[in-house]
Amino acid sequence: MRKRFGETVAVDGISLDIRGGELLILIGGSGSGKTTTLRMINRLIDPDEGSIAINGIDTQTIDGIVLRKNIGYVIQQIGLFPHMTIRENIGLLPTIEGWSREEIESRVAALLTLVHLPPDQFMDRYPKELSGGQQQRVGLARALVMNPPLLLMDEPFGALDPLLRRQLQDEFIGIKEDIGKTIVFVTHDINEAFRLGDRIAIMHEGRIVQIGTPRDLILNPADAMVSDLVGSDRLFEHIASLTVSDMMVPASSIISGDLPVQSAIEVMIQSRSTVAVVRERAASFSVLLLSTLLQRRDEVKTVLEATDPPFFLSMDVSLLSALEEMKAASVSLGLVMDDGEPAGLLLPDDLISRLV
Amino acid sequence: MIDEITAVWITYHLTERTIEHLWIFSIALIAAIAAGVAIGLFIYRRRRYASPVFSTLNAVETFPDIALLVLLIPLAGIGTVPTIIACVLYSILPIARNTYTGLISVSPELLEVGRAMGLSERFILLKIRFPLAFPMIAGGIRIAIVFTMGIVTLGGIFGAGGLGAPLQTGINLIRPDIIFVAGIWVGILAVILDGIAGGIEASLKRRFGSWRAISC
Repeated sequence: MRKRFGETVAVDGISLDIRGGELLILIGGSGSGKTTTLRMINRLIDPDEGSIAINGIDTQTIDGIVLRKNIGYVIQQIGLFPHMTIRENIGLLPTIEGWSREEIESRVAALLTLVHLPPDQFMDRYPKELSGGQQQRVGLARALVMNPPLLLMDEPFGALDPLLRRQLQDEFIGIKEDIGKTIVFVTHDINEAFRLGDRIAIMHEGRIVQIGTPRDLILNPADAMVSDLVGSDRLFEHIASLTVSDMMVPASSIISGDLPVQSAIEVMIQSRSTVAVVRERAASFSVLLLSTLLQRRDEVKTVLEATDPPFFLSMDVSLLSALEEMKAASVSLGLVMDDGEPAGLLLPDDLISRLV
Repeated sequence: MIDEITAVWITYHLTERTIEHLWIFSIALIAAIAAGVAIGLFIYRRRRYASPVFSTLNAVETFPDIALLVLLIPLAGIGTVPTIIACVLYSILPIARNTYTGLISVSPELLEVGRAMGLSERFILLKIRFPLAFPMIAGGIRIAIVFTMGIVTLGGIFGAGGLGAPLQTGINLIRPDIIFVAGIWVGILAVILDGIAGGIEASLKRRFGSWRAISC
């Protein structure tokens, strides 16, 4: 897609595949084209070039009004109609669609409950009688009223104070699980992106610089801008979202248990590793420290006698819980197993140097 | 004192004159509202006419009202009809201007949300722009009420009847008591009507929000 406003190219040839049921974050500075992209999805603006398809149907072939009725829309300024009560605001589209009073009443009540506002207290109040956070909840309820499969949100929590923003984000995570919708969410707050997003698209000057899961972006930033934005050089900030497999050292060489001690020392020094995985039998492994081996080189005949029992970890366990387990067991290294084979080693010393 | 006022009131039929006055006033005001709102809406739909239309209405506004009444004599003679025409001509500007301003001043985020929800432009105009413009339109009507009150009174001098007629009589007969009673009374009426209009305007603002600060 491409969109120009006069001389300015707002969106410059982006291509985006949004997956059903995911929450995709569009993040970037002002002028990066994130809001323009969002507005092209529900055709508030039309692209100059390119097309957008929803479930394979080109949106240009759908009547704009019909399209927009089926796409929820929430913006930072909320935009509740000040002359209508909360009930009228949420029930506006159902009223136009000719629902009965009872149907509207029960739908509005259900939505208010969903966004944690007691219906009997809020139904008949006017927007200006509500706080900013309450108004934004009503804004979300209104966007959900026709049960649209797709929801577009443009910095919905941007105007709230940090404490309230965090609270609404937490609530929103819960609501998101309940409603199971595809959501495109624009923000400029990277922490919000990490908290809410299944995938994050980083935009800059009208282009998508990189798109991926939070972990993809942190561990494999496409360029210095992405690395700087997501804080790839400050991995400790993201420790909660890392797993064992992200931070393990791959098990490059596996030493056979019957290898002579001297050969084992040579192999390890050559591969510059201080720890090695030893295969004792077909599916039985242990770990070998170079330091132990050097200390006891005269006492032992085979590698097997100098090994330590392994502490096993799985690939997809979160890093924090793995470290807690290791601390509880008083071990200083973990052997990461994948499908019965050693995949790597988790070395806390190495870990610290990579996190900071 | 009371006796003298009562005597003037009865002799010069001030009750009937008041009813007549308010009747002319009502017709003029309703016509002005209809024309003013229609012109405001027309300009809103055809923005390029905004500047010429408002220039013309401003020119009309700068005419002294007595000159306008005199100028209307060859066209509409004297009496009620030219008075009503003059009232409407004066009152169109504030009503049309405020209607137009009210319609275009609706905050952009409300319009964006409305469009994004799939509301039609017609629905947005009738159910969002117009209600939110009500306080502004009411402000224009309030100005028109003050104009109209003054011109209807002046029209009495040109044979339109109403409370201008006894004033004219008082001037002709050099009778300060008639001028005093009729003058004070027409003043009180104007203040009351303006007060009522002000109350309606304030309640519209409460109901629909001040047109300036919508949302938040």
